[in-house]
Amino acid sequence: MADAATSNGRDPSVGAARIGGPPLASTKPPILAARDVHRTYRFGQVEVPVLRGASISIAPGEWVAILGQSGSGKSTLMHLLGGLDRPDAGRGTVEFEGAPVSLGAGRSLDRYRNRDVGFVFQFYHLLPELTVLENACLPGLVGGFFGHARAAAARRRAQELLEIAGLSHRLRHRPAELSGGERQRVAIARALVNGPRVLLADEPTGNLDATTGASILDLIASQHAQGLTVAMVTHDAAVAARAQRVVHLRDGQVVDG
Amino acid sequence: MYAALLSNRYLTSRVIPLIAVGAVALCVALVIIVVSVMSGFLDMLKASGRTLIGDVVVSSGIGGIPNYDEWLADLRALPEVEAATPVIDTLGLLRMPYPSGPSKEIAPVQVWAIEPESFAKVTAYGEKVWWRPPADEAARDAMLPDDPRLRMDASILRDGLTLSQGATGKPGIVLGMHVSVGNARQSDGSYRPRFGWFMPGEQVTLTVVPVSETGKISEPRDATFPIVNEVFSGVYDVDKSRVFIPLAQGQELLRLDAAPLYDTTAEPDAEGNLPLLGTAPARVTKVLIRAKPGTSALDARDAIEASWDAFVAKAARRNDRLGRPPERVSILTWEQQLRDLIGPVEKEREMMRILFSIIYIVCAGLILSIFWSIVIEKTRDIGILRSVGASRLGILWIFLRYGLAIGVVGSLAGVGIAWVVVDNINLIHEAIGRDAPRAAWITTAAVATLSLGLALRALIWRGRLLPGLLWTIATITCAIVTVALIGHRGTLIWDPSVYYFSTIPSKVDWFNAAITAIGGIVFSVIGAAIPAAKAADVDPVEALRYG
Repeated sequence: MADAATSNGRDPSVGAARIGGPPLASTKPPILAARDVHRTYRFGQVEVPVLRGASISIAPGEWVAILGQSGSGKSTLMHLLGGLDRPDAGRGTVEFEGAPVSLGAGRSLDRYRNRDVGFVFQFYHLLPELTVLENACLPGLVGGFFGHARAAAARRRAQELLEIAGLSHRLRHRPAELSGGERQRVAIARALVNGPRVLLADEPTGNLDATTGASILDLIASQHAQGLTVAMVTHDAAVAARAQRVVHLRDGQVVDG
Repeated sequence: MYAALLSNRYLTSRVIPLIAVGAVALCVALVIIVVSVMSGFLDMLKASGRTLIGDVVVSSGIGGIPNYDEWLADLRALPEVEAATPVIDTLGLLRMPYPSGPSKEIAPVQVWAIEPESFAKVTAYGEKVWWRPPADEAARDAMLPDDPRLRMDASILRDGLTLSQGATGKPGIVLGMHVSVGNARQSDGSYRPRFGWFMPGEQVTLTVVPVSETGKISEPRDATFPIVNEVFSGVYDVDKSRVFIPLAQGQELLRLDAAPLYDTTAEPDAEGNLPLLGTAPARVTKVLIRAKPGTSALDARDAIEASWDAFVAKAARRNDRLGRPPERVSILTWEQQLRDLIGPVEKEREMMRILFSIIYIVCAGLILSIFWSIVIEKTRDIGILRSVGASRLGILWIFLRYGLAIGVVGSLAGVGIAWVVVDNINLIHEAIGRDAPRAAWITTAAVATLSLGLALRALIWRGRLLPGLLWTIATITCAIVTVALIGHRGTLIWDPSVYYFSTIPSKVDWFNAAITAIGGIVFSVIGAAIPAAKAADVDPVEALRYG
């Protein structure tokens, strides 16, 4: 799997030469885009503007790294792109395949998070009561009443993904019995189990040592090579360098890319 | 589907939900036990009342009902009446055959003078006569080896049913099971002679005070009877005080038998005799009636009232001065007769049901607080679930389902506990009523010692505070239980003299149990609903960031 991190594994439509280049949106309609989004958090009487008109456009099959310092609004942008949060009312939109995501009702946002995107977090965020396989299956079990067939399909897909992630011997283990790298692999398998078009990774290697982090990036790269669009938030330029394109976020705004 | 997976996993992988399950189980069990015992008590009261007095009771004043045979014949001809029997009901004093020595114990008793044959047709007297050989092999096998009934022959039962001593031909007396101190009740509900006294065969002297129609008290009269059997009705008040003698002996003792009546206002003749007015007919003070199957007690009562009016009218037409029945008698159904007893018990049961149902609110509050803490603890999980597409309703359903599962498991466990307790309530009561067996307190003392050792090991050798504290609590609890067991000298909780019955009702009221279990489930879901709504409202971003 480590070999998958080479440029050979990348989507040929977006070559290595594009890293740091102009947004693919200019040549191909974006699969995911944020347009002039603002997000302000309120802490009591204090308003803290986190995003101040950030815009980003991600082409299908692209791997974009969003690089920024702590507090720059990277994770908030990620949450907006993934439909976990909404921009301030009337101040920007998030679009998936050209349709606004953030205007949708709760149900359509739930469906969007369930089917169209997959999240990977810095702290893995696995459910401790569930086994590795159950954690990986989880999105397949969510969002439908067509129980058993869907569950069986999710289970098969989760097993395949866990096998790719090198965890086929850990299916019945609990997260507490796994190393950090193994947990993140389970989280990646979970994010991909419903076959989303976009993987949203928030500091996926932030809690891992360099070697383990590299193997996680290899795993992401292998999936990207199969056409998966990846948006990855990081504060580490070395990690960001694995992406095709790097955009910088500073003071709540995308300053390049 | 994930809701089922998660709520089941939360239920089985944690200790706190088990506390909630335990709380629901105890609440449900408590309500079922209380309502079952109260309902059983009420049912026993009603059933025993009916089996002891029939469907309708006709009671007259002190003067009694003359020519009762004639009226009984009228009654028996009624289509609503299955059987009728005459009874004299009075108070008396019974000189018991104990203790040894010239001074004997005197027991106040309620004397029923009966015609045993017709009495058994109206009441369940025939089934209530206690001392009898086992009816069949199954009954024989059910008795313990030291049960005296195993060694009895049919003569004792025959004597009890006929109220006469077969061997001597003397009229006999049958005592309520607790009139004498000679019967010790066993845990299986059977009796053994106590202090070496076996009542049948002993002689007792019954003293009664005849009272004239005008209320004038005559000289007390007594008669000695052999005890031919004893009767167990199950109603402690009855078993403690009632004795049965043959009707003829009762009439004679109370001067209610047929007797010549002289004109005391006239001058005596040459031989000193007063002029004879006629023969005053024998009387009884009560008539008990059983209604035909399918006829309600109320319908039977109406027919009996009409029959009584006809009987009075007939006597008036006859102008029978010596046998004129009282114009008014009390004619009550068994329920009306026992109204004073049944009414308060029914109200008491409803009051208990309401009071104990308040426990549900406590139960719901407990689940609410437990779930609240679980939701706070699981905030991050909620954020994760939202991130993979779980809806707010889905999150709500996880916790509602969790509450439902706790309610269902707790309620089923509660029904099980209640069933075991109610089914064995008399055994439990008797165990509490006895001194604690030595093995019990030795065991708890041993557990206390073991717990102390584990507490010291945890605190001193391992330096662990939590297990040390838990084992210390276990030690103190076991020590308290040990001291309580050593000091336990038997507590009579169900005092039969207060609760009428000598045994506690031990049948689960399944209808009420079902209602109670459903209540437990509903209140568990209500208790879970508020934390579930809070969980559904959790902001996924906040949950992932700070959860």
